[in-house]
Amino acid sequence: MSNYYEELTQSIISGQLDRVKSLTQQAIGAGNNPIDIINQGLIPGMSVVGARFKVGKMYVPEVLMSARAMDAGMQLVKPLILSEDIPSAGKIVIGTVKGDLHDIGKNLVSMMLESAGYTVINVGVDAGPEKFLQAVKEHQPGVIGMSALLTTTMLSMKDTIELLKEEGLRDKVKVIIGGAPISQDFADEIGADGFAPDAGSAADLCKKLLA
Amino acid sequence: MSKSQYVRANYQVNATPQLKMLSDDQCESILNGALEVLERTGAEIHSQEALDVFKKGGCWVDGNMVRFPSHIVEWAIRNAPSRIVISNQKGERTLFLEGQNVYYGPGPTNTYTIDPFTGERRRPRKADTVRAAKVIDALPNISYAMDCGTVMDVTPTLSDVHAFQAMLENTNKPIIHWGFGIDQYQDIIDMAAVVAGGLEALQQNPFILLYSESSPPLRHSVEAIDKAIFAAKNNIPIVYTPCTFAGGVAPATMAATLVIAVADSLVGLVAGQLVRKGSGFVMGGLISTMDMASTILSYGAAELSLLSAGLTAVARYMKIPMFSTGGCTDSKVIDTQMGLEAAFSILIAGLSGANLIHDCSYMEYGATSSLELMTMDDEIIGMVKRILQGVEVDDEHLALDVINKVGPGGHYLAEDHTMKHFWGFWAPTLINRLRYDGWKAEGSKPMAQRVKEKTQDIINNHKPEPKSESVLAEIQAIVDRAEAREANKR
Repeated sequence: MSNYYEELTQSIISGQLDRVKSLTQQAIGAGNNPIDIINQGLIPGMSVVGARFKVGKMYVPEVLMSARAMDAGMQLVKPLILSEDIPSAGKIVIGTVKGDLHDIGKNLVSMMLESAGYTVINVGVDAGPEKFLQAVKEHQPGVIGMSALLTTTMLSMKDTIELLKEEGLRDKVKVIIGGAPISQDFADEIGADGFAPDAGSAADLCKKLLA
Repeated sequence: MSKSQYVRANYQVNATPQLKMLSDDQCESILNGALEVLERTGAEIHSQEALDVFKKGGCWVDGNMVRFPSHIVEWAIRNAPSRIVISNQKGERTLFLEGQNVYYGPGPTNTYTIDPFTGERRRPRKADTVRAAKVIDALPNISYAMDCGTVMDVTPTLSDVHAFQAMLENTNKPIIHWGFGIDQYQDIIDMAAVVAGGLEALQQNPFILLYSESSPPLRHSVEAIDKAIFAAKNNIPIVYTPCTFAGGVAPATMAATLVIAVADSLVGLVAGQLVRKGSGFVMGGLISTMDMASTILSYGAAELSLLSAGLTAVARYMKIPMFSTGGCTDSKVIDTQMGLEAAFSILIAGLSGANLIHDCSYMEYGATSSLELMTMDDEIIGMVKRILQGVEVDDEHLALDVINKVGPGGHYLAEDHTMKHFWGFWAPTLINRLRYDGWKAEGSKPMAQRVKEKTQDIINNHKPEPKSESVLAEIQAIVDRAEAREANKR
């Protein structure tokens, strides 16, 4: 019996959505364990994609094609698994901070994280400290990620951290930040747990923080 | 009677070489594309005031989505002035933003700066904008000031106000400046009015252009669009500049990227014209590609020049002054990449005839500002301006009599004609043309070293013409007022 995993992995890498769908369907039809399809077919493909992107051997649109193919595969497998059994590397709440509508980078990070196996709760743009707090209470994520493009709006990141402290939740969650004006120095200054300069390293950072 | 006098009747002159990236037909197609996008897709507007302005003006408003009937956009294009004259701070009319006049200047709001003395890359301080203004004031080919970095050692929400003060105190050139919001814009206009001798004088003879950036594709934040409205209300010209990068916030094709950029500019234009018909509007702006490996918005890409020249062609087709980009780089240090990227974009932007060409100070894809780059750009602009002077062709310049007099095998060094005309040769100030021994005797300095020394020399020794004590005191009072207001907000 073929388990289709190797072919699935290759199709994820080459971003062939239809091929991934039909292979996943075939793998399910052949009686493979859905969790194995995810862990041995889909995720290994995205791991290769992430690694290649990081060293400049794949371009962003190619990565997103792979991510889209991966998601299509996941959608077919998910209904077959109890939700608590769906493999997840961890939960991450992500958003663009208050006063800022720039979300291209944040959405890119979000997709990279999902592809790396994380469950991402995207709170959107213009998200103030209360919105992050609410999401932390509701979803209990391992990490929250805040994004800003503007030097004024980045100051709101500190307010979120302060609010988490006031609510006694700061120790329960790691805080990571990113965006054009953000630096490691700024992360240290406001007491964030981490900073990633680009979407590729954001996933690595989460892996490190949640290890 | 000379031959050239005889044929003068229908003689065509190419006084300035130019690069017309798009034909009129292509410009029309781009504009029609933008009109269709605005009428069909529309734009997301995050300001209630702007939504009200659009609704009252006849646009179709649904929640925060606005669609624009083409006739309203075309009305706005027709009503915007095709020329805006900007004065220096002494009231002398200086920048004629019309036709294909080109003026170069630096860029704003970098989050880092390279210290020209220590070489350190660090957060900008108010003292850095003081330095920048001095360098801007001294360099002959830099025609206007921008802040060269968001100053971070002052009240964060007044970085714009402090940077404006630093510029007013250290240069008399025109200023293009941004603001966080309407309060700060008011501070800036009030300070400018002090220099100009009243608000009315400033309106009639502006030395400032306000600056606002929208967030493409087709999304306008409350700050961005409210600033366009504020500028129109106060009758001060505005530069409205979306940051459009192909593949990221626009399709990956050049034509579609131009469509998005034009559409987003037109949203700002319509807002301004609905508030005050005929208010001064300069369209932007920054247009390039997203680098698909690093995800940066590239400031050194060939497409930056290609798209900027294309956008300039469309602006000229619409008869709206254009704010373009050049003299910038993705390089992190003063190096060969910096020089070639800067030179390339300065030349193409100049040939395209864009009225204001900014970012002649931008390094590291816009993250870092460098006064050394600006100093080097000043030299490159000098070369480009020489090329833009073109070739004069008439009897005096054909010099057939002189050629006949000197004859075969002679030389022209001692001719009166040579004495009269060799001054037109462009003479370098930084580029080194010495013979080897002369260069060695001067310390064998590479270009980067010469650039650094010139920049440092300007900062140490240039003395901008000071403003009167009373003007400076009034400006300080406005800064103090702003500080008090922001303190109250906290």
